Amino acid sequence: MPPAEQRTGSIYDLGYRRYDGLRLGRQHAVLSLYFYTLRGAFGIGRRASSKIIPIVITVIAFLPALIQLGVAAIVSDEVDVIRPENYFGFVQVPVALFCAAIAPEITGRDMRQRTLSLYFSRALERRDYALAKLAAFATALMVLTLAPQALLLVGNGLASKDLADYVGDNWKDMPRTIISGVGIAAAMGAVALAIAAQTARRAYATIAVVAWFLVTWPISGILVTEVGGAGRAAALLSPFDFVYGATLWVFDVEPDRDSVQDLAEIPLWAYGAAVAAYAAAGTALVIRRFGRIAA
Amino acid sequence: MNGVLIRLTARQLLGQKRTVLLLLFALVPVLIAVLYRVAGNDEPQRWAASALNARLIIGTFLPLAALVFGTAALGSEFEDGTAVYILSKPIPRQVIVLSKLLVSWLATAGVVLAATLIATSIALWGEPQDGILAGFALAVVAGALVYCALFMWLSVLTSRALIVGLLYVFIWEGVITRLFAGVRFLSVRQYTLGIADAVVDVPARVFNPRLGEMEAMVLAAVATVVTLYLAVRRLRRWEIGEAS
Repeated sequence: MPPAEQRTGSIYDLGYRRYDGLRLGRQHAVLSLYFYTLRGAFGIGRRASSKIIPIVITVIAFLPALIQLGVAAIVSDEVDVIRPENYFGFVQVPVALFCAAIAPEITGRDMRQRTLSLYFSRALERRDYALAKLAAFATALMVLTLAPQALLLVGNGLASKDLADYVGDNWKDMPRTIISGVGIAAAMGAVALAIAAQTARRAYATIAVVAWFLVTWPISGILVTEVGGAGRAAALLSPFDFVYGATLWVFDVEPDRDSVQDLAEIPLWAYGAAVAAYAAAGTALVIRRFGRIAA
Repeated sequence: MNGVLIRLTARQLLGQKRTVLLLLFALVPVLIAVLYRVAGNDEPQRWAASALNARLIIGTFLPLAALVFGTAALGSEFEDGTAVYILSKPIPRQVIVLSKLLVSWLATAGVVLAATLIATSIALWGEPQDGILAGFALAVVAGALVYCALFMWLSVLTSRALIVGLLYVFIWEGVITRLFAGVRFLSVRQYTLGIADAVVDVPARVFNPRLGEMEAMVLAAVATVVTLYLAVRRLRRWEIGEAS
């Protein structure tokens, strides 16, 4: 056997180099995940067929604002302006559809493609992953809840004779609008994501999210309007009902006669508390799910 | 019809876990009917027809169940990549579509019909029936067929059939049909309600669909045949290796 020195194998020196450059770290990883998830929620950077559905739903959310601006532009400026709380009552439907369509994409994609292990082997922690995904999804929903009303405010302002006057008359609604829009997005988004994160299969996740919205709704309606008594607390069960109740509370408006919120006779602040509780529970469940999932 | 295909589809659709969940799903209208009776209200006929059956079962539960079964019967084969094994066999396309439709129709109709029969019987316990039970039983079975055919066509057309179907049911049928009455001719929900009216014999105050019974039946038949034909045509033009 020849001595080892003779085998100064340059052949084994592959010239590996250390990386001496800048390491962007955990914060950057979280922010990148947030922005890429937000883009992905609207299909930006994906193929055309994944853009259609988010964009159609977003357009539906904008329709009343566009119609009202169009009517105001053509007819006159004496048109009744849509009240923010009524807009929120309408926009819940596209928000629910967006949850059903997009929440499974946000969580299920990485599970199906088995890319979770790639994320978790980097600076990103499991909790960071869950929170970044959740924040991105809630932001996407805020585009649906807040952007149409921002458009309406600017459009109506430009259509009125005096922009400064118009903004001066309406600025009081702005903080309320923002609180409501953020609340709807947080409560519906967190719970929908918590449900969707339970399964990798898109179809099952969609059905489960839809079931949460649509099965609780008639139950709450019947329990509140027909059964009464302790059943009136069921208004806090259905997302459409408790979210709308919270909007009424934020805007300090009395519920319509014979609406669920009117018949339930629950103090309106309880709906606000319910929104916070649902958002917190959803967030906790998403974090828990991604803390335990096998990557 | 193809026996093997029917058996396989039935096994796919009625996996144990899903069946349990669906039975729970069917229990919801029953539970609501029980709660309604316990509360003891006036006008149970009107409630049973317009609220329980028209709004809750035909408006929500029937399309949801049809969406689950109708899009899964053929759509899950495309999603799992197993469609190619069926489509490359010498089975005529219409046999594939009809076999899949039969199973999804029976599954949907079974779940929803059970819910309708039990919930309506409870809601109308000791009250005159006036054909409400029979009328809505007939309507959900017929409506299940139209919905399943429609959703099956959607599932060969797009991989997001579930979402497109949801948009159709809750935006088109739920919102647009309410705003523009002319659209009732293009709404499976209105066909279903119109068919119920053929047997239901109550004053218009209690239950009043927007389509007459003849129109509804003809339109439902046309919609079923057209969507089935389109599904078969789409499959005839399908090429191996094509992503669905």
